[in-house]
This record gives sequence, structure tokens and C-alpha cells, in this order.
Amino acid sequence: MTVAPLNGRLTGQRRGSGALKGGLAAARDTSRVPERDLVLSSGLMVVALLVAWVLLQTLVLGGLSYSRAQDRLYDELRADLAAGTAPTGGVIAPGRPVALFSLPALDIDQVVVEGTSAGLLLDGPGHRRDTVLPGQAGVSVVYGRSRTFGRPFHVMTHEAVGTRLDVVTGQGRSTYRIEGVRRAGDDVPAPPAQGQGRLTLITAAGDGRLGGLRPDEVVYVDASLQSKPFPAGGARVNTIGQSEQKMAVDTSVLPLLALTLGGLLVAVVGMLLLGRRLRPALVWTVFAPVFLALAWFAADLSVHLIPNLV
Amino acid sequence: MRWRKVLATVAVAAVGTGLLTSAGVQAQGDDVGAFRQTKTVERTFTENGDEVRVDRRDVTVQVDHTRNLRGRERVHVTWDGARPSGGRSTSPFGENGMDQEYPVVVLQCRGRDDASLPAAQRVRPETCWTSTVQQRSQLQVPDAAAIWRSDRYADDTARSALSGVRTLPASCGGAAAGTSTHVTPFVSAKGQTFASCSSDTLPPEAAVDASFPPAEQAAFTTVDGKGDIQFEVRSSIENESLGCNDTTACSIVVIPVMGLSCLQSDSRQLNAACRKQGRFEPGSSNFDGQGVDESVSPRYWWTASNWRNRISVPITFGPAPNVCSVLDDRPPVGFYGSELMSQATVQWAPAYCLRKDRFRFQHNVLPDLASFQLMQQDEIPGAFVSSLKTVDGETPTAYAPTAVTGFAISYVIDEPKNAGERGTLNLNARLLAKLLTQSYPGSSLGRQHPGLETNPGSLNADPEFQALNPGLSTGEQEAAAVLVSLSESSDVIKAISTYIDDDPEAHAFIEGQPDPWGMRINPAYQRIQLPVDEWPLLDTFTPAVQQECLKQNNDTPYLTRLAAPVTSFVKIADALLDAWPYSQTKCSGLGTDQFPYVLGRADRQGVGARFLVGVTTLGDAERYGLHTAALQTSAVSPRAPFTTRGRQFVAPSDATLAKAISTARPTGRTQPFALEDGAVRQANGYPGTLVVYTAAKTSGLDRSTARTVASFIRTATTEGQRRGSGNGFLPDGYLPITRTGTTAALFASAQQAAQDVEAQTGTTPGGPGGAGGGGSTDPAAGAPGTDGVPSDAAAAAEDPAAAGGAKQPVDAELKSLGSTQGVHSALGAWFLPALILLLLGCAIAGPVIRLRAAGREDS
Repeated sequence: MTVAPLNGRLTGQRRGSGALKGGLAAARDTSRVPERDLVLSSGLMVVALLVAWVLLQTLVLGGLSYSRAQDRLYDELRADLAAGTAPTGGVIAPGRPVALFSLPALDIDQVVVEGTSAGLLLDGPGHRRDTVLPGQAGVSVVYGRSRTFGRPFHVMTHEAVGTRLDVVTGQGRSTYRIEGVRRAGDDVPAPPAQGQGRLTLITAAGDGRLGGLRPDEVVYVDASLQSKPFPAGGARVNTIGQSEQKMAVDTSVLPLLALTLGGLLVAVVGMLLLGRRLRPALVWTVFAPVFLALAWFAADLSVHLIPNLV
Repeated sequence: MRWRKVLATVAVAAVGTGLLTSAGVQAQGDDVGAFRQTKTVERTFTENGDEVRVDRRDVTVQVDHTRNLRGRERVHVTWDGARPSGGRSTSPFGENGMDQEYPVVVLQCRGRDDASLPAAQRVRPETCWTSTVQQRSQLQVPDAAAIWRSDRYADDTARSALSGVRTLPASCGGAAAGTSTHVTPFVSAKGQTFASCSSDTLPPEAAVDASFPPAEQAAFTTVDGKGDIQFEVRSSIENESLGCNDTTACSIVVIPVMGLSCLQSDSRQLNAACRKQGRFEPGSSNFDGQGVDESVSPRYWWTASNWRNRISVPITFGPAPNVCSVLDDRPPVGFYGSELMSQATVQWAPAYCLRKDRFRFQHNVLPDLASFQLMQQDEIPGAFVSSLKTVDGETPTAYAPTAVTGFAISYVIDEPKNAGERGTLNLNARLLAKLLTQSYPGSSLGRQHPGLETNPGSLNADPEFQALNPGLSTGEQEAAAVLVSLSESSDVIKAISTYIDDDPEAHAFIEGQPDPWGMRINPAYQRIQLPVDEWPLLDTFTPAVQQECLKQNNDTPYLTRLAAPVTSFVKIADALLDAWPYSQTKCSGLGTDQFPYVLGRADRQGVGARFLVGVTTLGDAERYGLHTAALQTSAVSPRAPFTTRGRQFVAPSDATLAKAISTARPTGRTQPFALEDGAVRQANGYPGTLVVYTAAKTSGLDRSTARTVASFIRTATTEGQRRGSGNGFLPDGYLPITRTGTTAALFASAQQAAQDVEAQTGTTPGGPGGAGGGGSTDPAAGAPGTDGVPSDAAAAAEDPAAAGGAKQPVDAELKSLGSTQGVHSALGAWFLPALILLLLGCAIAGPVIRLRAAGREDS
């Protein structure tokens, strides 16, 4: 790697020591870099920043946002349970907390929300709306992410297998035993007998060497109800949308995402134009918050395009 | 139109004579308790020790039905031979009816007029409901005007200065010298006594602006001595203090006010006051609430003179709506679907749940299509629908005709000049189209709407309506600009829009052709594709407003606020009962933080100027005694000059429903009948006729559910088709389905459907649909029954991921349902690696390009 040459005209500017810093310093003098390279380089940098941001958000910051959402949902559910208003059936508004999953062996608590679209699963595991609620007679289905945004269901396919799962809903406390992981080709267990209950947890997993990075297969974790099932509540939603199916993405954010990306483009162009007239420090000061805000928003939106189980 | 309940009963009995249904029950109606009684009433004065008869009349009171009443049901009370009234007030209800002379007071009272009963169970003024103090109490009246103290039938305690209570509550003021006070306390069903001499001492249901307006009336008798009213009864649900229900006996008390019978008292003034005989001419009106001669006013209905002239009509109430949940702890079997059934199922349900050999039937109202889908998904055993439904991957389904009923265009319209309610109304499809397409501007706000500037303001201002219904007031009225309708999807909306679409005049109007007076359709609805299941709200016009309150609430289109459709037909019936439109057009508030400007529901319409039209079910219209409009059946070319001649209007009745049904054609075994609008019109049948079917699967149901559904269909189409008001009978508003006669084909189809559902051997014409694998097999014997609440229904469909509609039969022997199907997501596989590669690539390439460029320049 070559060290960038010192630019004599930028008096008072501290010289960078690394290649990246040197490159950026060199770039400030626009007169000396051909226009084409400048645009290409800036564009690539913006893309890199964006991608880095998305990765940061899905893998790291997403965990923070997940924890925060779980805290909020926990409070909401606790208030609902205390007030006796926690849902027990019927049509429940998507996003409302419906159950608390506890894995006593691992000391893990998860608040389950209603609905399984990609956006809802950012906050926690989601209960599929056309199935009975956990704890009720019948098969209840809950989706969860395994890789991003707190990766709540990663544990379900690993450490939690064979342990006890406690569920608290508006109807009371139920106990499930997590039986095992079921992948494509495995036998589907028979529907539970009348008055029995089962919980099927669905998430994504990959296999092979880079399996951790490639969660491409839907896996099922069956848990059988050990306690007495509660009666199913009122009539549920009878069909769910495409975006709530397994591995579905929520494309309803696309228009907004297009606008945001357009905004980013405008910001890039604006920066280039202003960069010819103003001092670079000023340009960065003006545009850094704009980039940050737009990037944050774009990442927020684009995570809706990640399959809901990943 | 009130159906002739008694005649209908006789007719059904005649048809059903000798015909034993499969359940072994004779198809006869039960007695609805028509009432008739004649009584001689008189007014006498004592003059110098002699009795002088002033007036004497034989009053005959008739009530069309008195048994198994439900809350808010209206009964038709008619009388003949009463003294003609004078000084008619605009509204006969509650205290508004007090300023009249010689009216007939009709009250609902707890108890019976039966001398054999203990005193506590007998009717007395203290158990009669009124809404205000003025109707019960006379406070601090100067002795010379206290005419009740001169009543010759009153006992001595009633003639004292303070009567009715021993001591007056503090809030009612004290007794001043030279004044008299009478209080008629109200005794509630629980035995609590309300002094009823001030607003604090009234029972809670009598509050000002109570949720239900007063039902008691001081009704008007015409100059020929006749009168008729629809009297609304209240059950213990609406009025707990009055407390009438299936266990507490009640009566309707009809008091023809003849005036006080007077003693000769020492006071000349009092003598004169008591002997007054009215200052209004018989038949005259008292628009401005002038004072009337007290001695002949309804205020003194409680005096012994008036009370002894009463005719008591014993009434009984049907079981409370929650009777099944109280008396039956079995899980309910929920049939979902059409609201057209609700008045029938409310009478049917106790006939199922109160018998241990049957099941606990429950009807939940849901849009037809949604309930059909639930039925297809095994969530519910059966659905009530009114037409053929199709869903993807459908399991074979049988449609069992369960009721013949329909929709009604109900209305409450007052005649001008205080002449009472309008009893008949003619409507054609074009008028319905005008109302539904919001083509009447309603007010000056709507008139700003481009395209509506020259349209008549409301239905009653429309020359077409005036030509069909002469003699009504023609002033523009906001609530008369719309038809109160349903916001949900329903086969009723489909039927109405079909009726509109099939009518040449209405169709041309929708296409944009103006009516003969130049009225045009609201452009937002022009060329709307009919029929529709759910009436869309398409208008988006927001008018410019001046009022500050409206300015702050001007975000919803005006005509949409005016139309304000509601979610159920019974709400529309309620609006018509109370003459209270749902239009969200009343702006109130002060614009402060505490009282912000808000838009709310329009005011109740005053009696005398009511005009409200809405879509209801025939069952509701009959139950609540609503007037229903006759609909035009003849098709008239839109090009012909307009004339009212040759236009046929058909009102709903047993006969016109039967005519409509006679045109129904079968479309296949256990499939819905084709009831085509054109054929119905040609036969002069009622165009609003609809058949409600019980739709259930003929394959894939477990045995016990199948048996339950089949037994429901059999019971409903035999025992459930007997006319009457008791448990298990068919109420008015439904045409009985019988083994012979017009409805014979429906009956036969229902029995076939019951058979098919029970057998569960149905096949889909196109082979079993659904990719879930595994065709339908017979459910194994002894398979766990779901009792109609298959909570585990959605279950099995989940795991075999592709299973769309097909359901696996539950089989105890079956250990596995095949193998888990894989769902693979390329996006899931590649997005993380791709993002990481992209990041690395860009992060390296960007600086490198720049460095190289800068390096080139430097060198």
C-alpha cells in the first residue's frame, strides 16, 4: 500500500498516517483528482458505508433495538396481565404482546407478539395469527429470527432442545417440553388429540461450513404441552397475508425505501457540488448528520426485506 | 306494513293440517296472544247529591301480539270508541304528550290486573313506568286547582293535602299552607321506592337524555274515536327498575282519559276546575304547547277516576338473550353468518340449549363470505349465507335452505301538519340508487360538490319521490339525503345493488343519464360496477366551510360523514326506532382545551318532523314494528316520459315473499336456488326476498359435527318453521318453509342437504383440491369429536407447508402426516455473505481508486 503524498496547500491540516486517512486527505483537493474517479470513489464509499451500516444494524445494533423492544413489550404484557386485558383469542391487533416464553434452564425470557411479518419479528418472536394462542388446545405456531435482531430462536434449535418452556398468557401459565428440531424430510407429527396442545416454533437455520452465515432452511421445533390446555378463544383471523408466511419479506416498505435511497443520492450529488465551493470540513459537517439520518432510516426499512425467520 | 299475525297463523295451520313433518311435529304456529277487550268507561259528576253522567263510551282495545316479547319490540295497539282527543301535541311520548285533551294514555306496568293475585303482584300506578316527574307528581298546587282532591272515586287519604307519600323528601320542597301535593312514587322490581317528585328521586333509567327515549305515550284519538300506535315494550335489560322479563309478569295499561269524575266540593273554583271539559276542538292541534284543561289532560292518569277506566293487557316476555349461557354449561356450537337470521335464531336457540338431547346452538353474526371461509377451514360447523360462495381449494359443500326472509327498506316518516306517521311508502330502484350514490347534497355544504349543484337537496325534495309519495313535507332535510346502510360486506347489499342494476331507469341513472327532472348522479359513483357485496364510500369532496368548529373538523368528506354506514342491521333498526340518524354532522364544543370542537352524531329528530330511511332485515322490521317501503317491480324505460301510472309497488308480506320464491329455480343437488331479480319482478314478488342457507361441508367433517349439523338442519326446517313467538318458533318476517306449497322445493333440498352432510361422502367435481397431499378418507370410527369447536383445526394445515385449503382428517391411528416439507430461501442463504462481500469490495475499492488517481496526479 502506498502512502498518500502530502498536500502542501492544506496548511494547518494534520497529516494522516494510514492509507485511508491519506486517501481521504488527498481527495479533499478536488482539482488534483479526475472527476470520474472522484465520483466512482465517493459512490463506492457511500455504498460501503451503507452496507456496513446495514450489517451493523442487523447483527449488532439490532440486538439493542430488540432488547429495548422486549423491555417495552414485557412492561406492556405485564400491565395487560395485571389488568386482565391480555388477549385470549379472537382477532388481536398485530404487534400486541400475547405471551411470555421462559426457558428456566437457560434463564431466557422472550415476549411473543401477535403477527409474523418481517417488521413485527424485529421486536420479538411472532405468533402466527391463524393459529391458536400458546397454551390453548390445538397447534400454536410461533415464528422467530435465528440470526439477526437479537436472534431469539437461535437458542431454540440449540441449547433449549429437551428443556422446559414455560408460557404465560392471559389465560394463565402453561408448560411445554421442547421435543426436538425437525427439518425438511422429517416426519410431521400427527395433530394433537382432542384437548391436547402443541407449540411449533419456526425459524431458519443453515448447514455446512458457512451455515451460520447462511440461514436458508426453515426448521421446526416442536414442543408438547405438558399442562392442561386452555380453551381456544374467539374466532381467529382465517387467512394471513403473503408477508406473514415463512421466509417472507415485507415488500410494502419498498416505495419508502426508494425515496430514502433517492434522498441519499441527492445528498451525494449535493456534497460533490458544494465540495467545489466550500471548505471540506464545512461540507462534512453539513452532510454527516444527513447521511447518518438517511442511512439509519434506509437500514431500518431495508431490514423489512430480510426474510422474517433469518 | 304490519303482517296479519293471526291470519298468518290460521293460514299456516291450514296449510300444515295433517302434514306431519319428519320430526313428528305438526307445522302449526303457536299463539302470539292477540288481545281484544271492550270496556265501558264513563265520567260522572256529583251534583247536589245526584250522580250526573257526563259521558259514557264503550272502548275496545286490541293488541296484535302480547306473548314472548323481547326488549324494544313494538306491539300494535289500536282502539275504537274512545272520546275524540283535542289539542294534539307533536310528540305523544313522555312529558311532551301532557298538553293534550282526552288522549289515550298507554303505559307499561309491572304486575297483572288480577284480583286473585296478592297485592304486590298487581298492577297499580306505583308500578307503571313514566319518564318524568310531571307525569307522576303535582307539587304545591294551590288548593283551588288541586282537582284530584275533588275526585269522587278517590279515597279519603288521596284527597288530603299531601297524598301518595307520608312525608315529602327534602329535595321536593315542603308543604306550604294553602297548597296540595300528590306524589305517585315508583316502586322498582327490587322493591325500592322512588318518590318521583324531583329529578333526584326518579329511578335511574328516567334520567334526562337516558339512552332510550320515553316509550309511554299519551296517544291521540281521531274524531271517529279510533286510534292506533306502535307501543315499544322494555325488558329488564333496557329498564331494570321496571324489571319486566320472563319471570316477572307485566301489563300494558291503556287508559282512555275521560276526565275526572268530580265531587261537589265547597270551593266553587275547585268545582269549576274539576268540571272543565276541554278548550280544544276534537281533532285540533296544539303545536305551541298551550295550556289545556287539566281535568281532561293525561297528567292525571293516576287518579282513581282515570285509573278505574283502564284496560290492562297482560304481556309476557321471551327468555333473556343469555338464557343459554346461564342454563347450559355445554360448549356452544357456533353457526356464523347472515344477520338476516338473527330474529329467528334468537327464538330458536333456547329450543336447542334447553334440551339435553340436543346441542347448544349459537348464532354469531358475521359477513356471509367470511363465515363461509371459516366453515371451509373447519373453524365452524356451518355458515348462514344467502348465495353461492366460492373459495379456493373448496371442499364439497351442501346448502340447506333454512329461512325465507329478506331485506326491508324501513322508514320513519311523519306526515305534515301533525297527522301522525306515514304508513305506506313507495320507492323505486332509481330513488335507492340516488340515495346510495350520495347524489342528494343534503345541505348547503353538499351543494358545493361539483355536479350536485342543481340536484334536489334530499329525498323528500325530489320530484320523483313526491310523485310516488304525494303529500309529504318537501323541505330539504339533511338526514333524508341518505339511506342508512351497512358498512360491512353482506348478501343483502349484493341483493340491493342487483335490484338497482337490473332496473332500466336506475341503470341509466348510474350510467350518467339524468332523471326526467335533470337530477344527475354524484360523479364519484358514475358508472360504478354493480352488484357489489359491500357498498363503497367513493366520494372525497370536502366543502369549504365558514364555521370555526367545522373548519377544525373538515378532514372527512362531507357526504361520507352524512352517509355514515354502520356495522349491523340491528343498529339501523335502533336508529329508526329512535329517529336518530347516524350522520356525523353535528359540530359542537367551544374550541377550548376542555371542550374542543368535535363532530358528532346528529340530533334525534323531533316527533312530527321525522324522516329517516334505512336498510333493515325483515325480521327486525317485524320485531320492532317498523314501517317498510313497497318496492317497484315494473321495469320502465328511462326514455319514456315519466308517469306514475303502470308502476307496480310490492310491499313485503307472506304472499309477496311466496310469489318471489315461486320463481326460484334449483341449480343442482343441495346447491343454492337461483332467485333472479327479473323473474321475481315479473311475478310481482317482493324484490327484497332472500333465502338463507346453512352451508356445511359434505366431506371431511368428523362424525359428531356432521351429525350435529344435520340435526340442526332437520330441526330448523321442520319444527323451526312453525310461526309463533315462543321458543323454537319462527317469528314474523320469515316465510315458513313447508313440505308442500311454494316452498316445497326448498324443503326437499334442505332434507337432501341434511342427508349429505350426515353421510360425509361428498366429492368435489374437480377432484380433491389442495396440494397438501393425502385425499380425504373416511374419519376413523371413534375419532375424537370436535363438538363444533375445532380449536385444533388450523393446526394440521400448518406443518405441511404447502397445504392450502385441504384438511387432513383427524385419525387417532395416524402417527405421521408425511414428511416435513422444506422451505428454502435463497435470500436467506445469500444476503449476509453478499452484504459482507459487498462491504469488503466497496471499502477497499473506493479508497484505492482515489489513492491511485491522486498518486497519478502527483507523479
